[in-house]
Amino acid sequence: MLKEKYKAEIEDILSRYPVRRSAVLPLLYMAQQEEGYVSETAMKEIAGILRLTPPQVYEVVTFYTMLHLKPIGKFHVQVCKSLMCALVGSDTLLAWLKARLGIGPGETTPDKLFTISTVECLASCGTGPMMQVNDDYYESITETKLDGILADLTRDGTSSLKSGPFMLPEPAGSQCKM
Amino acid sequence: MPNTIDTDTVRVTIDGQTLTVPKGTLVIEAARQAGVMIPHFCYHPKLKPDANCRMCLVEIEKVPKLQTSCSTPVANGMVVRTATTVVNDAHKSVLEFILANHPLDCPVCDQGGRCDLQDFSHQYTPTTSRFIEIKRVFQKEYFSPLIEKEMNRCVQCLRCVRYCDEVMDVKALAPVGRGTMTEIKHFGSHELDCEFCGGCVQICPVGAITSRLSMYEFRPWMLKRADTICTYCGDGCRITIQAKANQIIEVNSEYGVGRNNGDLCPRGFFGYHVSTHPDRIMQPMIRRNGVLVTATWEEALEYVAETCIALKLKHGPQAFAGLITSRCTNEDLYVFQKFMRLVIGTNNIDSSARYGQVNGVRALRRVQGTHRWTVTFEDLSSANALLLVGTNVTETNPITGLRIKEAVKKHGASLLTIEALVPAVGKISNIANLSTHDFAGRPDQFGTMVLALIKAVIEENLVDSELTQQAPGYVRAIADALGGISWDSLETATGRASPAWRDAARVFAQAKRAIIVVGQGVLRHPGGLGITTNLLDLLLLTGHHGRRGCGLATLAEENNDQGAVEMGAVAEFLPGPSDVTDRQARERLAGLWKEELPQGAGRTLMGILEEAKKGAVKALYVVGENPVGSLPPSSGAKEALQHCEFVVCQELFMTETAALAHVVLPASSYAEKDGTFTNTEGLVQPVRQAIDPIGESRPDWEILSTLSVLMGYPIEYGDAKEIFKEIRSVIPGSALLGPVPTPPRPDAAVVNQYIQGGYAEDLANRYRVPGEGRGARGEGGEKTFTLVLSQSLFHSGKFSTRAKGLLDAEADGKLALNTVDAGTLNIMEGDRVRVANERGVMTTAVTLRDRLPEGLVTFPEHFDEQALSLMPLTIENRTGVPYYRAASVRIEKARG
Amino acid sequence: MPKYEKILLKNMEIPGYTGSLADYERAGGYQALRKVLGKVPPAEVTDTVKKSGLRGRGGAGFPTGVKWGFLPKDYQGPKYLCCNADESEPGTFKDRQLIERDPHQIIEGILIACYAIGVKTAYLYIRGEFVLGAQILDRALAEARTAGYVGRDILGMGSSIDIWVHRGAGAYICGEETALLESLEGKRGLPRVKPPFPATHGLYNKPTVVNNVETLANLPHIMNRGAEWFAAIGSPPKSSGTRIFCVSGHVKRPGNFEVPMGITLRELIFEHAGGMRSDKPLKAIIPGGASAPFFTPEHLDVKLDFESVAQAGSMLGSGGVTVMEEGTSMVWAALRLMEFFYHESCGKCTPCREGSSWLVQTMRRIIDGRGRKSDLETLVELCQNIAGRTVCAFGDAEVAPIMSTLKYWRHEYEELIQQAAATEPVKLMMPAMAKH
Repeated sequence: MLKEKYKAEIEDILSRYPVRRSAVLPLLYMAQQEEGYVSETAMKEIAGILRLTPPQVYEVVTFYTMLHLKPIGKFHVQVCKSLMCALVGSDTLLAWLKARLGIGPGETTPDKLFTISTVECLASCGTGPMMQVNDDYYESITETKLDGILADLTRDGTSSLKSGPFMLPEPAGSQCKM
Repeated sequence: MPNTIDTDTVRVTIDGQTLTVPKGTLVIEAARQAGVMIPHFCYHPKLKPDANCRMCLVEIEKVPKLQTSCSTPVANGMVVRTATTVVNDAHKSVLEFILANHPLDCPVCDQGGRCDLQDFSHQYTPTTSRFIEIKRVFQKEYFSPLIEKEMNRCVQCLRCVRYCDEVMDVKALAPVGRGTMTEIKHFGSHELDCEFCGGCVQICPVGAITSRLSMYEFRPWMLKRADTICTYCGDGCRITIQAKANQIIEVNSEYGVGRNNGDLCPRGFFGYHVSTHPDRIMQPMIRRNGVLVTATWEEALEYVAETCIALKLKHGPQAFAGLITSRCTNEDLYVFQKFMRLVIGTNNIDSSARYGQVNGVRALRRVQGTHRWTVTFEDLSSANALLLVGTNVTETNPITGLRIKEAVKKHGASLLTIEALVPAVGKISNIANLSTHDFAGRPDQFGTMVLALIKAVIEENLVDSELTQQAPGYVRAIADALGGISWDSLETATGRASPAWRDAARVFAQAKRAIIVVGQGVLRHPGGLGITTNLLDLLLLTGHHGRRGCGLATLAEENNDQGAVEMGAVAEFLPGPSDVTDRQARERLAGLWKEELPQGAGRTLMGILEEAKKGAVKALYVVGENPVGSLPPSSGAKEALQHCEFVVCQELFMTETAALAHVVLPASSYAEKDGTFTNTEGLVQPVRQAIDPIGESRPDWEILSTLSVLMGYPIEYGDAKEIFKEIRSVIPGSALLGPVPTPPRPDAAVVNQYIQGGYAEDLANRYRVPGEGRGARGEGGEKTFTLVLSQSLFHSGKFSTRAKGLLDAEADGKLALNTVDAGTLNIMEGDRVRVANERGVMTTAVTLRDRLPEGLVTFPEHFDEQALSLMPLTIENRTGVPYYRAASVRIEKARG
Repeated sequence: MPKYEKILLKNMEIPGYTGSLADYERAGGYQALRKVLGKVPPAEVTDTVKKSGLRGRGGAGFPTGVKWGFLPKDYQGPKYLCCNADESEPGTFKDRQLIERDPHQIIEGILIACYAIGVKTAYLYIRGEFVLGAQILDRALAEARTAGYVGRDILGMGSSIDIWVHRGAGAYICGEETALLESLEGKRGLPRVKPPFPATHGLYNKPTVVNNVETLANLPHIMNRGAEWFAAIGSPPKSSGTRIFCVSGHVKRPGNFEVPMGITLRELIFEHAGGMRSDKPLKAIIPGGASAPFFTPEHLDVKLDFESVAQAGSMLGSGGVTVMEEGTSMVWAALRLMEFFYHESCGKCTPCREGSSWLVQTMRRIIDGRGRKSDLETLVELCQNIAGRTVCAFGDAEVAPIMSTLKYWRHEYEELIQQAAATEPVKLMMPAMAKH
């Protein structure tokens, strides 16, 4: 139960808003962080905390693409398929992922490690093709870089190839991110 | 010429017609007034404009883009066009978009023939569609036993969702997903669990949400409709019964008419299967050799007439008594009391108004000389402050509840609640959630809570200065009485400290229009009469009393509780009501009836039963009333009936009481007869026959009338209208049929008499804290709970427990318990518990409810056979109201 | 290549600049706040912003000072400011850089705005995917709180302003200001019917201002250097100041370029963004994010200011400039954008909800070689029936790609349809990602 585990955090979140309902997204993130997805139990608990009915929480969850009602893989690979990334090859990025992981968008590897989704623009249009894995951005992806990322993730659970604070064009002489 | 425009109105021209409308009127409404119907799906006058369907686009001069008429208020001088080519094209295009994905399964759609989409399509669209893509398909899923959902037909106008939230405050429907795949769901794949008010069914403009009870049973044009009044509570909702082949197919309610203005509750919407239930008594029955056997009407009525004449000769008329249910029409009630008084010759008459309604009427008559509300539902909606005391309004009077919700949600009224409710969200809306000042407690605490509030009014100097001048003694007497009660003791008794009471007192006293609503939690519990009187004191003290839009409203639990009182179907009143001892009234009535009235006051329900046990009352005539099933065993109702030499019962079903009768006569239900009901506000409304009488049943008044002829004192009427005509001559002005009640004003002379000394006789008794509250630890250290018989939203008395639809919503009685108490007792949802006290034991399943205050458990009265055995019985000494709805009990998990 | 003075991207070009409070202060940060807070009357701050000619950088380009002026005067209850950091317009990635590289600049801007309009609580609504950005902002806010810039009695001048980061959770529509407010209230992000406008009935039904990140980031500079200074930059009087243009697509040097408004597309693409990435010539340009109608090479000399771009038939929008080279199928490009809009349509209004799926299906059919002659007429009519018929501007936006590509490259659609029945359908060249 969130209430017992994160009592102080919840109080802190609630204190930011004059109306409790505003805390619904922060609490849903908390629930998703905890279980990997938003369970019915969590929605009911959040409804209770915010004095909403469970349907009021449920309708919010289903509106936003980042909240999941079902468990997904450990690494959620979200490939931007909007035009700007497509212009620089996001379709082949998906093909490459399929070749490497054997799955397409909406699928999860049998070992529950990777889930691939296609998403719309992630504000990384100058550095496409790109993908977000869980919280991290990976930009200007090439075949070699993708292989590196997948290997890192499988081995270490993270990858140093992820983006840091964004700067484009990069100032002359600065360390290249890649 | 000077431009003299009233600032509250604006002039607008719609399709060439110029009209003046109030400021803020929406274009779509102004157009309606001009007789111009603008097509729309998402707009509904009850809901905030959402402008999502884009169907109601119109051209407004000087505005470049088409505007939605549902969200645009008229501005002065605005010129609107609703039928230009551009507008027509826009309407067509929206229809084309909607129809693109619409399944066109009209032949099997229950909305067919009364569907907005069908009608607008007929009006605007060519028959061919350009849409050649793949239609969107939503997976069919089971929604609920009562409500059917077909999302492929949905036009996503969200009227259902908005109604469920804005009007009902239930919030059970969720628009799920996004974009074109948005669909209406409840919670995940769970089936709908809600109030089942049917509002979503009624407000859906297409066939997306329909009733399962009538699925595939009709085409609208096959139905015969009758506009009548619901029989399930005192709100008096206007319903339309739709029947086919003498079966009720559905019930709905039209927007814009009736006191409910189209809103219904589950009882009204889904509870219509009672009338045609197979258990209906179809033929008269006479007890022969101890067994009830069928007989012809002739045999039965002759038998009753002969027996009554013989018994009257042998024992005299005072050996008779009559009981009638206030579910009956005014016509039934009137003829019944006339029959008892003239044909039999006794005033021993009582009705189910005795269970509580009488307390309210008696308090009102005493303090302000009225027997009706001095306010209306409209006043509730526009009040600035509302104080609810023991109403449990959502369950007991759901539509009154909507008026209160409207006052708070739409108009920002302050809501003070003294209720057995803690704010908590659940499947049924909880009025305490809207409360600005909520005081939760057990019914036995309500009286003390009212004292705390009055004490706060006095101490915060909120007493009306005029009243202090006019009746210093009255104010001082109350102040003195309350002065003797310390805040310490009030805090202990109410669980709330004085600042909370002072805040509430200020809000209530300073409101421009304030109304007190009193419910069964007061009227049917010990002290009910006194607490209601004290609440009238509160109105007087705060200066609200007598002001327009202010007043005290007592809620009627049964549909014609108020009518029973007004028709004189209670012991203390003649039609009017006038006191049965009022000589002038007696003489007037005798003149009209051309017959002497029986002498002496009549006996009330409990008195009648007592006398029957003693053998003084020997014959009982019962119309639809069921004392054996309603009162706890300790009342001795069963023994009383068994003692009687002769019991006649006019009934729909074989109740506990009917089963003891010597003659049972089949009566027609409200759906099978004409007449009138008087609602809780005091509005008399027409009841109309929707189906032919079931079996050989006859309207109650007709049976009594026939009997009167056989007994040689004919009281004859051609039809219900004729009776009503007589009622109007007997009670002038009181029985006006109209769309809105015209409430009486308090009688200044009576008020003056009260404040100048009338208050004094029982003041000391009313202004004291009753014995210590319950919920404390008993002698053995075992925690005791207060068990209260409660009213469920899904049932009305035991009558509704034969309605298929309502049983789908609530099939049996469960003990409702607070989660905290459940935790202490180590009880989970669905567990079985043993509930016991010195009177008896019951075993039942448990359901958990966050909204119940700790220490309070409830059991629905509709399934209370077992629970009744635990109830102690006390009787209000002034009004004879039997109190038996609360008991102290111990609870433990059932073993095994 | 012409060099221009940078305003918003200036600090981050300082070598070693991390965006920390210390770095920001060293670069002159929070001087504007110190100068203004408790010293310049709030009304005067609003006046300065009005005089500067600053217009909203989120897309609609509404004059910022005027927007503030719509708040009810002498209103005593709570008012709110929302910083719109829901940057989701395809082709736009400037706010992300401002947030991740120089968060204090935004915070100072928010504080100045709050002071000017008397707001005590501001919410920074950031799109959910910007996890790093949200962390950076939270860290910066913590620094600012410790340093006394945010919170109670700021700098001892009696003003109290709280700023909270609120993360969205994946919905483009929440960039629409009323949808943002709904989302912030914990509801589904559906745009509200207007009027009433947020200025009177905004967050929690209270007077509210919603400003874009880039808009707010300009405020410290305007306060420091004066309205006249700012007003003189760019294309006064209607397009003052710089814009950060986000150039993406087939150029050599994609990125964010802060330049005065009024430079030509040609200069932006060929000078700043380094020109086309290969020898393939330029074919199409989207000048202001996915919602802006396409331009052709004919439009290269259009000046990048609000009026000029609008006059040429598109819009400056969010500043996202996407460049496409010869060989790119315009039908395909339009479909890609249409798929975006279909995915992001909130579903509130009938024309947009039903129209987006209809348009996508028809476009896919054409691409798949199953087009019909009547399709083009249907596409145009559907677009006309969506535009201007919805609660928010999304309806207008979603038809822009199809309408503008049909306008300039109708033959590409016709070719696909004509050859639909042929044995060998048109082969579209699909862009590929680099190997290394």
